[in-house]
Amino acid sequence: MPTFVKTLLLLLAGTAVGLCVTLVTLERGVDFNAIKAGPWVAFPKNGTADSDPYSRAILMRSGEIPLATSEGLSFIARRDSAGAPFTPGCDYNLQGQIPQARYWTLTLLSPKGFLIDTGTGNGADYGIESGEERHGFTSTEILRNNNGDFVITLSRHARPGNWLPLGQSSFVLLLRLYDTELGAMTSALNDRNMPKVVKGGCT
Amino acid sequence: MNWLDRFLAGLLFGLAFLFITAAVHIISVLAMRDIIDKDVFDRLSSVAHPVHLTLLPPPQPGHEFIPFEDPALVQGVCLYDLSHGPLRLHADVEAGQLLTLSFRTRSAQVFYAITDSAAQHGKIDAVILTPTQLEDVEADDDDDDETPQDLRVVAPESKGFVLISALAGFPSERPEAEARIKSVTCDIAQQ
Repeated sequence: MPTFVKTLLLLLAGTAVGLCVTLVTLERGVDFNAIKAGPWVAFPKNGTADSDPYSRAILMRSGEIPLATSEGLSFIARRDSAGAPFTPGCDYNLQGQIPQARYWTLTLLSPKGFLIDTGTGNGADYGIESGEERHGFTSTEILRNNNGDFVITLSRHARPGNWLPLGQSSFVLLLRLYDTELGAMTSALNDRNMPKVVKGGCT
Repeated sequence: MNWLDRFLAGLLFGLAFLFITAAVHIISVLAMRDIIDKDVFDRLSSVAHPVHLTLLPPPQPGHEFIPFEDPALVQGVCLYDLSHGPLRLHADVEAGQLLTLSFRTRSAQVFYAITDSAAQHGKIDAVILTPTQLEDVEADDDDDDETPQDLRVVAPESKGFVLISALAGFPSERPEAEARIKSVTCDIAQQ
C-alpha cells in the first residue's frame, strides 16, 4: 500500500476515533468538580468561569442553563440510596434531611432533563393550567407530619400524602436548593444531611 | 524490510494514530461552541424578543426547548446585544418573595448574579455594558457630582441574556410570580 494512502487512512481513522471519544465522553458525562452525597451529585462550578472544558462542552451541547452560585445549588440523583438505577415499575420513598435553603424544589425528569408525561392529569392539584400533571414538589407545598418530617412517595399508582407520579419511562430526580449558603460549604455535605431515596415494592 | 523495521514502522503509525485521536478529541471539546448548531442564546431567540423582557413558556412534556428546567419557577429573559448600547434593567422587589437575576453570556455562562436580598429600597437597578461603554459612563460621572445609584456589570461578550426567575411556592401562586417577572423592565440605556 502506498505511503500516502496509509497516511490518509491514518488521518481518517484518527479523526473518526477522536470524534467518537468526544461523543462518548460528553454523553456519559464527567465527574470533575462533582460533589457527591449519597445518591445526589452536584456540579457547583457548572455555568461559572471556573468550570472545566468538558463540563462547558456538555452544557453547550445540551443547552442547559445551570443555576448561578448565588441563585442556588442543584443536585441530581440517577440511582436510589442503595446504588440501584431508578426503575419506573418500583415505588420509592424520599425522606430525611434537606440542607438549609430559603426554598427547595424536587422535580421528576427524564434522564435528558425533560418533563415526563405521567398520564395522571391531576393538574387540578398543582397545574399551571387545568389538565396539567404533577412533576414535583416545592418546600412550601409539602405535607409534613407533627415533628416537621415528610415523606415523598414516588409511584405509578396513587398514594396518600405527598405522591409524585412516575411515568412508564426511566427518570432522574432533581433537588434544587434556592438561595442557600451551601455553595461555599459543599465539603460539609454527606449522605446523612441529604434526603434518602429508598426503594419500596415493585410491580 | 526485516522485523525490526516493520516493528518500528508499526510503532510510528500507532503513535501517530494516538496523537491524531487525542488532538481531534481535545480540539472538538474546546471548539464545541463552534460545532453546535444553536447555543442557548439562539434557542431563547426563537421565543424571546430582543432587549425587552419576555416571559418564557412554562415547561410541558414534549414542548420544552431548554433541558433541566424547574416547573415550579416562572422565568423571563432579556436578550441583549451591547453593540446597540448598554442594557438597563429595573426590578421592583416584593419583600420575602424569591426573585433571582443571573447575567449570562450567550452560552449561559454566568458572569454576575443577584437575588432579591441584594435589593436596595425594594428595587434593583443594573446596567450591563462593555468595558468601553463603562469607560464612557465613568468619564460622564466625573463631570457629574451625583453618586451613581445603579449596579454596573461589565459583560465579557457583547451578546448574552439576563435570566429572571421567581418561585411559585404553590400552583395558585403562579400568577403572582408571573406578575413579579413582568414588572421587570429592560431597555437600551441612553449614553
